[in-house]
Amino acid sequence: MPPALELRNVTKTYGAFTAVDDLSLTVPHGCICGFLGPNGAGKTTTLRMILEIIRPTQGTISILGSPSALAIRNRIGYLPEEKGLYKKMKAWSVIAYFATLKGLSRRMARERAFQLLERYGLKDFAEARTEALSKGMGQKVQVLAAIAHDPEFVILDEPFSGLDPVNQTVMEDIITDLRQRGRTVIFSTHVMAHAERLCDRLAIIARGRKLFDGTPEEARRSLPCRVRLQSADSIVRLQGLPEVASMISAGEGRWDIELTDGANPQAVLEACFTAGIRLSSFQFTEPTLHDVFVKQVGSDAKEATFR
Amino acid sequence: MKIALLIAWREYAENARTKGFWFSLFLFPAILVLSIQVPILLEKKGTPTRHFVLVDASGSFEPLIVQAIADQDTRRADEALREFARGKNVPEPLSRFVKTNRELDLAGWKKDAGAAYLQVPGFKPPNPKFKRIPLPSGVPAKGSLDTVAQDLRPWLRDDRKLPVDGVDRELFAAVLVPDDLEQLARSSAASAESVAGSKPAGIQYWSGNLADTALLDLVESTINAELRRREYVARGLDPAAIRTIEKSRAPVTSLNPKKASGTEQVGMSDRIRQWLPSLFVYLLWVAIFAISQMLLTSVIEEKSNRIIEVLLSSVTPGELMIGKLLGIAAVGLTMLSAWIFAFVGIVLWKAAGISPAEAASAGGMAQVPGDLAGIIRTTWLIPAFALYFLLGYLQYAGLILALGSTCNTLKEAQNFMGVIVLFLMVPLFTLTYIPRDPNGPLATLLSWIPLYTPFVMMNRVTADPPLRDVIGTLVLLIAFTSLVLWGSGRIFRAGILRTGQPPRLLELLKWLRNR
Repeated sequence: MPPALELRNVTKTYGAFTAVDDLSLTVPHGCICGFLGPNGAGKTTTLRMILEIIRPTQGTISILGSPSALAIRNRIGYLPEEKGLYKKMKAWSVIAYFATLKGLSRRMARERAFQLLERYGLKDFAEARTEALSKGMGQKVQVLAAIAHDPEFVILDEPFSGLDPVNQTVMEDIITDLRQRGRTVIFSTHVMAHAERLCDRLAIIARGRKLFDGTPEEARRSLPCRVRLQSADSIVRLQGLPEVASMISAGEGRWDIELTDGANPQAVLEACFTAGIRLSSFQFTEPTLHDVFVKQVGSDAKEATFR
Repeated sequence: MKIALLIAWREYAENARTKGFWFSLFLFPAILVLSIQVPILLEKKGTPTRHFVLVDASGSFEPLIVQAIADQDTRRADEALREFARGKNVPEPLSRFVKTNRELDLAGWKKDAGAAYLQVPGFKPPNPKFKRIPLPSGVPAKGSLDTVAQDLRPWLRDDRKLPVDGVDRELFAAVLVPDDLEQLARSSAASAESVAGSKPAGIQYWSGNLADTALLDLVESTINAELRRREYVARGLDPAAIRTIEKSRAPVTSLNPKKASGTEQVGMSDRIRQWLPSLFVYLLWVAIFAISQMLLTSVIEEKSNRIIEVLLSSVTPGELMIGKLLGIAAVGLTMLSAWIFAFVGIVLWKAAGISPAEAASAGGMAQVPGDLAGIIRTTWLIPAFALYFLLGYLQYAGLILALGSTCNTLKEAQNFMGVIVLFLMVPLFTLTYIPRDPNGPLATLLSWIPLYTPFVMMNRVTADPPLRDVIGTLVLLIAFTSLVLWGSGRIFRAGILRTGQPPRLLELLKWLRNR
């Protein structure tokens, strides 16, 4: 069985500007893949190419085993980055309309629309015109429109942007529901917390190039562990330990100690006791995806803002 | 195709739900009905009785004017009674004088009922249009006309009201006839020059209302007729003979050499035939103009809302374009058929209320529905209308789609829309010129410009244009429309996803060349 999505050496150029540069990516069936990157990294361009709204300059894309997304468009759902709805249409009829475009019968589409609106707490707004909905509600309606035909593959471009914390949770529920039913989801974001909670796999891209691709665990392991401790005593003796890669003073007796790969922070603590270093605090933190992201794209992100 | 139909259906349903659509659907029939009914209603209820004073220094015209006004009242009352008798629930004994064709035998009724012939239950005679009232107390009729006019000023200026039967009324006008009117008329006829000097001479007509000249016309014609009668008598001519002579007319018949012998006579039907296409051109124009706007709004909405991106992940640009074209065309067709049905319905309804006697006097208005049906049956009017609507619409829709897909906001698009509208104005200006010379150089020239072909050829359709023009312009129009649709398809595909600045002309050409 081929992977749900496979990008091979995909490049997209606009004149002299390269939006996506030699990108290869594989997403297996039934997983949630986060697509991380700073603004202007080429996330939206990549997603549009996957959907065949635009064509890559070079490279091939295969989605659900088909070289053309349009040929199997009824099996794909898409939420674009910029959200918009037909202002004068009612919430349920927008959802039903997009579902009929994806091959559902009118009756089925209507049923599905009401079902979804009820499940995600929008039942009372089913008959409201979309222009009367708040931004968050509108966005939820749009996501529901994208998944109303129960697609096997769902592409969500920045699904969390502009949502309040409550609605962000609803959005997370929608995505986990999709996973439970064995659907493949790929979503882009630059909020690491969502990726951390939801993703089975993630890909980090910046300036059109892929910087990382793997599970969140692998991503975290790509960064060394850190220990932060505070002590009035000198801790120079710790420098000799094989577990310690570097030590940076943070002032006032605080130190950030970076450990070598696979090192056990317990060894540092024991070394402190044996050396008689009196600790006022000892903190061990696993690297977060945020750290990974900053580390991977730090310089790129800054440059990107100036571009 | 199923997808295109889904898009078309949404487009139709959305536009058909707007207030603007319903407004335009009913506006045309409403205007038509109002333009027919309002003058009738005004005639029936409208103007209240106007009160005037009359001072005749000569003393000889006064009874004539009073008589003329009484005659007018009688005529209007008679007409109202005729109309009343045509309706339902005509009471006895009046109903006995209504003939089978619902005409009232007025003379018979008058003879039977005598002076009280207007006193019929349920019938209200119309208000008299003008009523002569005596001079206000305190204004002597004996003085010179200038003094009388001076004395009457407060009433004429509406500073004071006149009590008539216990109710205060405005003084509408004062008619002052000098005692030397006959000499004045005679000398003016002899010198053929105006006697008007610094001082008003002749009849003085004082009124603050400059628009309603009905009273002045009545007074003038009455006095003139009397003056002429006296003059005939003075010169030993028989006034009755003169009246007979004045009635003689040279008979005139308009003939059309293009028609078969025996049917050359130009009648109402031929006039309708000449002018009916103009109405259809106008409908065509309004419909194309209105739905072009709808199309533009709809494209821009999807583009500026970025709904287009979701759509394009579900449908191809081709399907989207065809769906839009079909949906909006259906809106236009609904509007047009509603208008045409309303038009035919109103014509039939109005024509049904016209009696044969009136029809004869109105120049055969009663045959209008029959004539219309005949024209519609025997000419290409309706098929041509359908064909030209379709092609004209597709042509302009193509331009609008291309335009809409390259603009981000409605405001941006409206600037360009101005240019299209400017082009569209030309057939409206020529609307009335073309029927006068439907196969002349202007009509022929405009017919060969594809943008104008639908309108101008529609305008000429009942004038038997040369076959060369019909076929040639049609082929050109179809070719041009295909070209526009092909080009706009390409521009639409490239432009619809684009954001930011509208493309330059050079860029557009590039889009046309490659995908």
